[in-house]
Amino acid sequence: MIEIEDVCYSYSGVAALQNINLHIEKGEAVALMGPNGSGKSTLLKLINGIISPDHGTFRFNKKEITRQKLSNTQFAKHFHQQIGFVFQNSDTQLFCADVYDEIAFGPRQMGFDETEVGNRVNDCLQLLNIQDFKNRPPYHLSGGEKRKVAIACVLSLNPEVLVLDEPMSGLDPRTQRWLVEFLVRLNKSGKTIITSTHNLELVPEISSRAVLFDENHTIAADMPSEKLLEDIDLLKKVNLVDQYYHCHQGAGHKHFHDHNF
Amino acid sequence: MDNQKAEMQGIPQWMYTEENYSPRSDRDTFINKSILSIFSILSRIKTQGVGTEGKYSVNAVFKVAFTFMLLILLSISQSSSFVIVVMVYLLAVLSLMEAKMIVKILKVSLIMTLFTFVILLPAALGGNIYSGIMITSKVFATITAVNILSHSTRWSSITSALKRFFVPDIFILVLDITIKYIVMLGDFMLNMLYALKLRSVGRNKSKYTSLSGIAGTMFIESKEMADNMYNAMECRGFTGEYHVCSHFKFTAIDFAYIMMNIAILLIFLYFGRA
Amino acid sequence: MHIPDNYLSPSTCAVMFAAMVPVWTIAVNKVKAEMENVKVPMLGICAAFSFLLMMFNVPLPGGTTGHAVGGTLIAILIGPFAACISVTVALLIQALLFGDGGILAFGANCFNMAFVLPFLGYYIYKFIKDSVHSEKGEYIGMAVGSYVGINAAALCTAIEFGIQPLLFKTAAGQPLYSPYPLSMSIPAMTLPHLLVAGVLEAVFTAAIFVFIKKVSPGTIYQGAKQKTKAVYGLIIALICLTPIGLLAAGTAWGEWGTDEIKNVVSGGNALGFVPEGMANGFEFEALMPDYAVRGLPDIAAYILSAIAGAAILIILFKVIGSLKKDKIGENIG
Repeated sequence: MIEIEDVCYSYSGVAALQNINLHIEKGEAVALMGPNGSGKSTLLKLINGIISPDHGTFRFNKKEITRQKLSNTQFAKHFHQQIGFVFQNSDTQLFCADVYDEIAFGPRQMGFDETEVGNRVNDCLQLLNIQDFKNRPPYHLSGGEKRKVAIACVLSLNPEVLVLDEPMSGLDPRTQRWLVEFLVRLNKSGKTIITSTHNLELVPEISSRAVLFDENHTIAADMPSEKLLEDIDLLKKVNLVDQYYHCHQGAGHKHFHDHNF
Repeated sequence: MDNQKAEMQGIPQWMYTEENYSPRSDRDTFINKSILSIFSILSRIKTQGVGTEGKYSVNAVFKVAFTFMLLILLSISQSSSFVIVVMVYLLAVLSLMEAKMIVKILKVSLIMTLFTFVILLPAALGGNIYSGIMITSKVFATITAVNILSHSTRWSSITSALKRFFVPDIFILVLDITIKYIVMLGDFMLNMLYALKLRSVGRNKSKYTSLSGIAGTMFIESKEMADNMYNAMECRGFTGEYHVCSHFKFTAIDFAYIMMNIAILLIFLYFGRA
Repeated sequence: MHIPDNYLSPSTCAVMFAAMVPVWTIAVNKVKAEMENVKVPMLGICAAFSFLLMMFNVPLPGGTTGHAVGGTLIAILIGPFAACISVTVALLIQALLFGDGGILAFGANCFNMAFVLPFLGYYIYKFIKDSVHSEKGEYIGMAVGSYVGINAAALCTAIEFGIQPLLFKTAAGQPLYSPYPLSMSIPAMTLPHLLVAGVLEAVFTAAIFVFIKKVSPGTIYQGAKQKTKAVYGLIIALICLTPIGLLAAGTAWGEWGTDEIKNVVSGGNALGFVPEGMANGFEFEALMPDYAVRGLPDIAAYILSAIAGAAILIILFKVIGSLKKDKIGENIG
């Protein structure tokens, strides 16, 4: 479904992505990991069509996505409906006067009548448990509530792929837990989920496959999440963890963490 | 699979059904245009002052003062020879600069010059050639001079140079803060525009609402930023006074620059004796 | 609406700057009185907001886009005096650091966009709001205020342009600066603003105001503690009349008489001026008024062209060299 081949991208002479090769099938749940500045967010922007590669190709559903193609508004709109992007900073994602309008924005654009729009909005509100905020302005909600509204307003487009940039950042433990469960449910219902995260603990829960970036802006590893997290040497090599990273052998359950929290 | 499983997850039916959607057309170039203009502003600010602290740089105070003098002289002058001399001088200065900067500077000045030419064309065709030639060439010289200043000098040096021109310290602080927050608010605005663009999947019947939503959110955010900044400054002992320090070293380059500009002033006076 | 340099004579620029100095002083004092000294730097953020607001491409019917200035909106959000300072700073940064031009014309631009636009718009808004005691009254006041404000600013700009050919001429009678007289500059500037730009400003800024009022009404300026006194109105009127007075002092009133205007409009040449030597067609020497080209001594001309040639060659080489490296452009979509 998503085919990225030999992609390079640099900005102002500084390389951000080098020789990236990545294939993601429909229905997968993939996590992107790597130290700060390794290119994860850049790749996410590329997948969403915000930037185009300098070299290499990006294909979505067998169609190549280029800046030229995206300048055709109809093509671009169709593309954006199929891939939803939840930004890291929820504040920049929300620009409507109340939560209902925010979630209704997408379906209204798609031409549904108000009843259908209402159905979708109410479904999303219920799914994310934010019915109480229906008529509130998004700006004054708490971080976790804003994140939920942001996810809702992207889900209402009904994209096939959901891309999330550091979705756990700024959330309290309980909301993080909730988000993990939610992403698992979404994935099981057929949506392709791509997340970038620093939260190593949660990686195996929200993804079956993990892609590791290194400081050279290339992909250092691409394997099942559990396996990647066991390769402590590799994680140290790309400077994602330090020497104190270790594992506690619980009853049949391996649980990685570091004491730097 | 999946429908039963999905229902058990509590996911509504439309969400696990593929959307067969064909977008209708809509004119929303305004999003891309806004993105591009903000993007160029942010790039400009982020790359300013790069590579300007060489051994051969003139003190910012002189640059500001003499650029200003040049602008005034150009504006007053009625002598095409003087304007030509200034243009040659500016071209010589340009040739000493880095290629990337030259391109940027020339882009701006040539576009503005072309623009001026087009505006003055009706008057020129009507017989008023003086305005056409003089104003157009003056515009080229003026814009080039100002852009040479702003591209070859760190902006913090320009703002602190203003202190020598009796601008109160607090004004300079406001200027510096403005530049910083153009970047921060600009980033914020850029991301909001991207978010809008990514969700513009069809026909937006209320474009003004979306755009004004972005602007409105930006204002509220800027108020919050201002409160945070004020608290941070207060915590660090700010009481309303701000001292701009400038290290003044007079070098040979400064001397040469001053001589050059005095020569220009003399040339102006020479040609001015009509 | 931003006036570039070299269209206004230096004396016009100086007069407009002088007119703004009392405005700025009053604004700074007023702002300091209403908020503690320590909060003055916060105006920087409002200036950043004002700057960025001018960058929005607002859609117009037909698919094109336009820009709003937002002076009235900012005046309503943070008060007219603070707005004056913020817009001034935004204009300064545009002119000085972004090199758009308008450094000498800074005083004039501030007069139009940092004084006339915010103050007129604000007081109209206030008047309508206080007369019509309803929420709708506020929104109508906002829209009308910004519409009138920007058209007034456009009119001032047109007048500043239009008086140039009347006041500043060469010995041969050709205008030194902006060549278009009032009869041209006024319709050229005011019509687009009345029909398009003004409407855009009113609609866009009113929409932003509605949004902020709905989402976060607490952030809006609550109005001065005292009722606006008539004195302020008088001061403002005085400030407005000063530039006109100063300019008029520079010319004999007679020159503004009907003869002058007749000459401009009639004679078949509404557009320009026809000096005597032009009657027989174009000759290069005749194009330049005599005193402008004071025979450059040969050596000087030779040196000048040598420097110019060398400089241009260096520039060309550098630019071409950088273009080759730069084949990878910016792929930002």
